[in-house]
Amino acid sequence: MAQEHFFKEISDAIVNLDKEKAINLAHKAVFENMNLLEVIEKGFGDGIRRIGDLWEEGEFFLPELMLGGTIMQESMEILLPKLKSSGENITLGTVVIATIEGDIHSIGKTIVGTMLSANGFEVYDLGADVPAEHIINIAMEKNADVIGVSALLTTTMFGQKKIIDILEKKGLRSKFKVVIGGAPVNKSWAEECKADGFAGSAIEAVKLVKTLLNK
Amino acid sequence: MIEMLFHDWLKDDSKIILFDGGMGSEIFKRGIKPGNLPDALNIDKSDVIYEIHKAYYDAGADMCQTNTFGASYLNLQIYKLENKINEINKRALEIIKKACPPNHLIVADIGPSGEFRPPVGKASQDQWLSSFIQQVNFLENGVDLWHIETMSDIEEMVAAIEAIRGISTKPIISSMTYKKTKRGFFTIMGDSLEKCVQIQEIANVDVIGANCTLGSKEMVELIQELKNLTNKPLSAKPNAGQPRIDSNNRVHYDQPIKDFVSDIGKIIQLGTKVVGGCCGTSPDTIRDIRKVIDSL
Repeated sequence: MAQEHFFKEISDAIVNLDKEKAINLAHKAVFENMNLLEVIEKGFGDGIRRIGDLWEEGEFFLPELMLGGTIMQESMEILLPKLKSSGENITLGTVVIATIEGDIHSIGKTIVGTMLSANGFEVYDLGADVPAEHIINIAMEKNADVIGVSALLTTTMFGQKKIIDILEKKGLRSKFKVVIGGAPVNKSWAEECKADGFAGSAIEAVKLVKTLLNK
Repeated sequence: MIEMLFHDWLKDDSKIILFDGGMGSEIFKRGIKPGNLPDALNIDKSDVIYEIHKAYYDAGADMCQTNTFGASYLNLQIYKLENKINEINKRALEIIKKACPPNHLIVADIGPSGEFRPPVGKASQDQWLSSFIQQVNFLENGVDLWHIETMSDIEEMVAAIEAIRGISTKPIISSMTYKKTKRGFFTIMGDSLEKCVQIQEIANVDVIGANCTLGSKEMVELIQELKNLTNKPLSAKPNAGQPRIDSNNRVHYDQPIKDFVSDIGKIIQLGTKVVGGCCGTSPDTIRDIRKVIDSL
């Protein structure tokens, strides 16, 4: 019961965007030698999922999403070293994410990266205006499970297709799930360029990547 | 005096003011390569921008806006073009002046800076203000009124209004961009329609509006709510549905013009004073709206 209360306290701290409290509770969990996997799943993870729900309900917007995501990341930085030292691997998968070449819009992509990371994925954010070949090279190097490509302009959306074309040409298509996003991106474009899926928001992106990796 | 014309139009109950349609989508229809800031074309491809303005005026628009949506200091900085802020804005004015027929108006277009405030980005109110002031200084001598548009943060809108008010006495149309949520219309930064209207009223802008993000159908709903929140004249510039890319990598907006125009008809019936289009609308759209307005 006391433990359930502790998890609830963590989850509430995340939802209330109370950074100080979330960080203190993360330290407490480490200090008291608690089962950190459980702390992440039932406490922090629960909080970040509730933030996602609040976004979908129109209660939370970009500032809350971003703040919640960074509080989660900072809390994880306290928990992860301890977990790794005890040999636990809690990464749900590796995602390489970037905004495509010719497109300098980075905010949407950064939010998706933050939320994926907050939800337990190892995220390599390559920034904006990144050539397709470079994204693929890093995905290979990091042995990524997923490549996420953002485009905010109808004129740079072609770059998303280029990634898939290159992967096909090199016989690497089956190595990665490729997901796309950005303001002009929709389901029919995802089908047209044979992506594995598209997401209209950071919350949808987390759900999509989890579904694709069966998590 | 031409500067008075807009005020006269606002006072004339029988006048519906027809604005122009999308600029970006028209630029790319004319084969311009992707990846560049459309505002830079004021220098490199002024003939294309002239052609688009002229097509909108010829289609019956009462006023068109300068190709300066992205030409604020902060946004140009993202594209490493900040040292061309003078040239891009000045050229925009020269081009539109050539295209504008007598008794029609030139609107200065001010878009978002591309930088968000914390925790989403790093921009401060002062940075926004000084960025807009620089752009407004270049546009003041030559335009008849201002359109601040596609703002998703009411605080950034306030900075843009403040920048204009410090330099200009010309009318301001202030258009936020909203998304429809389960709880109603909000900006992605979480500003409700009600809050935005309140702040725009305090700032005493001349016209309160909305543009982009929403298609014409949702814009009808938004205008219904908006008219219950303010007695100010209203402006609407919705998108023509969602973009689609064909197998030849060309962008299409599939909403039939007649559906868009029929929604604009409803928007006018609701009492909206200024109508036009945003992404995906074209001179053909404006021509058909003109017919609707003339038949009223």
